[in-house]
Formats: sequence, structure tokens, C-alpha cells
Amino acid sequence: MILTLLGSMALAYSTPAVPLTVVSKPQAPAVESFAVRAKLVKLGDGTTLEEGVVWVEDGKIRAVGRGVELPAGTILIEHDGVLTAGMVAPHTYTGAAGELADSTRAFLPELHAKHAYNPSHSDFRRAVEAGVTTVLLAPRKENVAGGMTAAVKTFGDRVVSTDKHLHLSLHTTALWGWREPTSWPGAITELEKRLRQGEGAFGEAASGRLPVMIEAWSRQETARALDFATRNKLTGALRGGSRAGEMVDRVVASKLSMIVGPFAIGDDKRHIDSVLTLAEAGVPVAFGMSAPDEDPRGMRLSAARCVRAGLDATVAWHGLTSTSAKIAGVGDQVGRLERGFDADLVLWSGEPLEWTSRVEAVYVDGKLAFGGDR
Amino acid sequence: MFECLALLSLATLAQPLSASAAPLVQSETPASQTLWIRSDRIIVRPGEEISGAVLIQDGRIVAVGPGLPAPEGARTLEGAVVCAGYLDAWSTVGVEGATVADRKLNPASRVVDAVDTYSFDKEREDLLRAGVTTARVQGGAQGNIGGTGAVVRNDPNAGHGDIAILSEACVTATIGVTVGNQTPDVFDRIDSVDKLMRLIEGGRAYRDRLTDYDEKLAEWEKEIAEKVKELEKDFKKAKKKRDSDLAKAEEDGKTFKEKKYKEDKKPKAPRLDANKEAMAKVEAGELPLVVEVHRVPEIRELLAKSATFGRLRLILAGATESSSLASELAQRNIPVIVWPTPMGNTRPNEYRRHDLELAGKLHGAGVKVLFGSGGSGNAGDLSALAALAVGHGMDRTAALDALTLGPARSFDLGDRIGSVEPGKEADLLVLTGDPLDVATRASFVVLNGVVVVEP
Repeated sequence: MILTLLGSMALAYSTPAVPLTVVSKPQAPAVESFAVRAKLVKLGDGTTLEEGVVWVEDGKIRAVGRGVELPAGTILIEHDGVLTAGMVAPHTYTGAAGELADSTRAFLPELHAKHAYNPSHSDFRRAVEAGVTTVLLAPRKENVAGGMTAAVKTFGDRVVSTDKHLHLSLHTTALWGWREPTSWPGAITELEKRLRQGEGAFGEAASGRLPVMIEAWSRQETARALDFATRNKLTGALRGGSRAGEMVDRVVASKLSMIVGPFAIGDDKRHIDSVLTLAEAGVPVAFGMSAPDEDPRGMRLSAARCVRAGLDATVAWHGLTSTSAKIAGVGDQVGRLERGFDADLVLWSGEPLEWTSRVEAVYVDGKLAFGGDR
Repeated sequence: MFECLALLSLATLAQPLSASAAPLVQSETPASQTLWIRSDRIIVRPGEEISGAVLIQDGRIVAVGPGLPAPEGARTLEGAVVCAGYLDAWSTVGVEGATVADRKLNPASRVVDAVDTYSFDKEREDLLRAGVTTARVQGGAQGNIGGTGAVVRNDPNAGHGDIAILSEACVTATIGVTVGNQTPDVFDRIDSVDKLMRLIEGGRAYRDRLTDYDEKLAEWEKEIAEKVKELEKDFKKAKKKRDSDLAKAEEDGKTFKEKKYKEDKKPKAPRLDANKEAMAKVEAGELPLVVEVHRVPEIRELLAKSATFGRLRLILAGATESSSLASELAQRNIPVIVWPTPMGNTRPNEYRRHDLELAGKLHGAGVKVLFGSGGSGNAGDLSALAALAVGHGMDRTAALDALTLGPARSFDLGDRIGSVEPGKEADLLVLTGDPLDVATRASFVVLNGVVVVEP
């Protein structure tokens, strides 16, 4: 884990026979093809490469490896640090805080979060700087059935994928005194009625083809949401569940994935213990982002706090990238460094889960979004 | 050098060690236990590291050095890294909530009296596991004056009376923080600076009056002594005369009047004012003044106005926008307590320009940086926050100093805690790795020579 040790290692990368333009600072290449060589490349599937190379072409990853043959003239950026895929925030209101809900209607499955996407919002700049390149915009928890999610890029105005989840909320803010339903039994009854009627998104969700994303935070809400999902054989993920680990059997039975955190400084230690229990039971766990209310860096730091408490570092890292992308429904496009995936690259000063490491440069879809010579 | 110290100490230790083998004595007074801690990396003080051992006896570090043998009967510990326990330079740990929220504390209000030693056991254990062995606590986070702060040791064996290792560590003040939804405007903030300055001035005047009184009193005592001497000469005669005068007065039914001497007029002592006394200590630099202040206008005003008090030891806390004033802070040796925590949009107004690079920027400009948990109630992440600051440009050695020796020195405990050196009180950590690495855990925590955290 101590990266300074790597400095003494021999270069494992075989120098290509053709001349390359080697630069030491990330730059915005004029051409749509370039490569990055880093001391350590974390692919996101558990493999790490020393002195690995990622070759980017037209915004996609063309090749990854240690002996990648690069065509003559390719710009090769040397990075004295760690290279990873961009992190994926699997559930967020960032950059669209006021636009993700219609407060007059408790059931609005037709809402599409993509319509709230404003790529020029300053929240996205902060997210990029934190190393987050894809976020799943979720309809807000103030509606029982808030609508459809959208995975978007934090730089460059691109919707990666839309309508991958129906967002439900069993969070206390979904119940309003002046709007039906006004109680939990009412909300559950209404939801189950729609699932049985099987129209539109509810029908898709009831059949298991469309994953749901259920927001529920307190112990009681979490238990209610898990039972609801199990009873109706829903697939997808639960957002929140700060103490879900204390009912880990119920979580396992529901087959839902978990989106946890972020953990603020001074947060209840039980929330972190809960993550450890979930991970131990094999529940897919990803770390959520509560930006803009909280610093977007909190997502990575929350994972680091769990590592500090004993969570396996690989599990934690995947909870920020590949597992996260999978839960967000875009696991075949982002979250890993693999041929054909989006060229979302983060150049770190050191091991990304160390608090002492920082983001030095970020590429989104092959374009330099932060750091370097732009 | 350490080898010499070690050998010296060992020679003196040879006797008591064999005598302390009786187990009964050890269990009754845990502090008397002898500890020998081996490590390949002992951070003696930030920037100075050795491979060797630390010997602890009677709560103190008695020897540190390579090739230091384990005395017979000593408990042996081992770990990857040994370093001094962390001192949270800005904390409210254990301080009862009402005191933290109190907006009307006075300079002399002793925050140590509000530390509830019995209700924060769990918290204390978490803190110890996170390496935080001591904390400078303060109250009145929302008032202008936070009282007299203390440095407490997170000692699970300490009762109410002995939680503090320094019960008067500083006087604290707060300028311009948001209370509820109210953020004071710039004029209110400047006014707060002026008020604080008047308090210091009041302290100075009080001390001047005391000094003046002391001088007059000495003068008077001298005069009295002279008069007594003079009177003693014909004391018998004078007494006889007084007795007869007294008898005559009684006979005549008149009131007897004692003879008056002008020396009878004793100078009057100034009325005791504990608050002014505390501020007098601040003015004289006997106690540092910790001021939580964030924005440029009030920091600038504070620096300008406080310059007239030559002996004042000012320490800033928070200091969100202080990087543009770093050179003056450096030049005047004013330390800054930084809280390097991530913050989002929900942060209070005064933190609007909060920047994780602050610690690095200040240190780079030559300012002494200390780390604190901002009175956020949980200092358990202090070393992680220090690591975060390192990730944002803070020097690694300086970061460790900001957790240990730096705050110890700033609060006059530099000769007691903050490093792993002979003579110091044994508050130290046996860690599984580098203090700033994410996965590092404390396998042992030694507090005042007693192992209080085991794996």
C-alpha cells in the first residue's frame, strides 16, 4: 500500500519500438488518441498493474495492459502515481437539487431525472475535482414514487443511461400532511396496488426487469423497505439503511444491494459497523454521495473510514467504482478500466483510499476535465 | 545521545526493577508497572525516528534508544510504529452540553468544572483507540468568551478531580460565528474584536492596580514597623497612661477615645475580580488567548489591535480565511488551530471559504499549525483529518507535529507530553503502521504509563 516503495521497482513496461511523444503532465491532447502510463493502475476488477498503460481513443478505452503497443506519435502521459477509473456516485441529487421532485404528486413514475441534468452546474465541477466522473441522478425522496433515474457524466454534457431504476422512497419525508398518502400503511398499500396493476414502470418493476432504488434511512424505515421489497420480489438497491447491518439477514433475503453513507465526521460509529457487517455477509455495497449538502470528497473518505474500521480495501474501492457502477446500471460502461469502457480516468497522487492522496487530474470521456495542462 | 540516556537510566533502574517483581504491588498501583516497548520505528519527536525501545516506569518515559534491553519483570509490547499520543488542540470532549452552548461564560469560568468524567466513557474509549490521548477543551462555543480552557487526559481511570493535566490552559474567545441562523455582520464582528481588546485592557488595568496596591502596602507595612519600634521605646509609660485614661473615662462616664496614629490608615486592596484576574494573565502572556475567528476583516482587526499588547500570546482557531494574512501570523509567531474537515453546502457561513489546503498554505508561509477537531464532538478522526491535510499540501512531519508536540508546546505542556523522550509523561501509541495511513490502528495505547487499550 505504501506507494513510495514502488519507486524502487524496475520499469516493467517494455518500451515500444515506435517513437512516442512522452509528457510528464496530463494534457488535453489535440488528437483523440493518447495513453497514460502510471506507476500503478487499478483496473477495478481487483487487478492492479505496475507501470500499466491505458490507451484512449475517441473517448473510449482502446487497450489496457503492461505491454500495449502504441502507434507512432501517440502522446504518452507519464504519471508518477496511481491511475484508476473515475468513481461512480450511485445515488445523488447533485447539480439538480431543486429539480428532482414535483412536490404536488406523491406518485410520479413518469418523472425522468435526466430532465433535471444541468451539466454546467458548479456541483459537477466539485464532483470532478473529487474524482467522481459519473453520477446517478435520483428523483428526490420527498415523493413515494419519484420517477426514473439517470446516469450522467460530471463533465461534458452526456447522459450515459436513463430509466434504469424506478425510484421509491419510504423515507419519512415522503409523507406529507396535505397530500396522500399520509401514513406508511397508506403508502405501502398504494405502492402494492400499482405493482399488482402492473402498468408502466410499476409493471416492469413488479416483474423484476426494472430495478428499484428505495430510499430509507432509519432502522424502522429500512426494515419496512426490506420487507416490502422481499414481499414483492423487487430487484435493485436500497439507499440509506444506516443501520441495515443490524438486520443483515433481512438484507440478504431481499437480495437488494446497498448504497451507504456518506459518514460525516462525528457520525455514529454504528453506521460504519453496519457497513462492515453487510460486506461480510456478501451484500454488494456502494458508497453514496450527499453532495452538494456535503463535500463530494466525503464519498471516498467514507469508504476510507470503513477501511480504517476494518473493511477490506478492495471491497471499499469497488464500492466507489465497479460495484457502484453496477448498482447504477452502467457497470458495462464505467467504473472499470477495460477495453470498450468510457475513458474516465483519475490520476491520483497515491493510493486513492489513503487520506493523504489527492486527485491530480481527471479525464471524462477522454477529455481532460481537471488538473494538468488544459 | 539516546544510548547514553538509556544506559544512565538503566543503571539507576537496576535496583527498583528487581524489587518491583512482587505482583501484588503491581495490581494495586498500575502506574508503577514497568513497560518495555520495542519498535523498528519510534517517532521520538516529529522528524526524529529511531529503531529501538522505550522504557517506561512510574508513568514516565525513563529511557529511549537503540539496544535498550528489556528489564526483568517488565511487560513487553511490540509494534510497527511508536509515537506520542495525539493532543486535540480544539475540542469539547466530555464538556457538558450546556457549557458548550453557553453564551454568557466569563473569562474565569473554568471549563474543567464542566467536564463530566462519568458520562463520556464510551466516547473516551473511541478516542483512545483513535490515538487521541489528550485534548484541550473549551466551552462557550457560541459566546464571545468561552472561559478558561483546560487540557484533559482521556484517562478511563481518572475521577473528576484529576481529569485535567492543566486546568488553566488558556482563555478562549469567539468572534463572528453563526448562532442559530444569525450571522453577525462585519460591524458586529469588528465590535466583538474591540470588546475583546477592552477585556484585555481591563486585565492590564486590574493588574496595574494590584501592583500599585502591593507597593502601597509594602510602604505602609514599613511605616507601621517603624512606628512600632518608636513606640516600643516608651511602651510601658504609654500603656500606663492609657490604662489610667481608660479608668478615668469610665469613672466620669465618658467614652474613651484611643489615640489615633496616622499610620493606621492601611491601603485598601482592590476588590477581587476573578475575570479581570484571568484577563490579566492573558495580557501578561501567562495564559494563551485562543480566538476562534474566520473572516479576513476581523482577523485583520484582531491582529492590528492586539499588537499593542506585547506579551499577549494569541492563538487563532478555525481561521478559515487566514491564508492571505499568513506572513503576518508567521512573523508574530501566532499559531493557528486548523480543522481540516471536508464540508459541503450545509456548512456555517463563516466556513464559506473553507479550504482543505489551509494547513498546507499556512505551514508553507511559516505559520505554526496545530490540528483540532473544531469542537465537533468527535475527535476520533483527528489523525485522518491530519492525513487529509497532507493530501492537500501539508508537510507530513509538520502534520504529525500539529497532532503532538506542536499543541503540547503551545499550551505549555512541551516538557510533559507530546514526544517520546525521557522525562516525559508516558502517553504513547503503539501503532500497526504509519500514523497517517488509513488502515493503521492502535494496538496499544499507554496513558500515563498504564496500558489502557489492548488489541
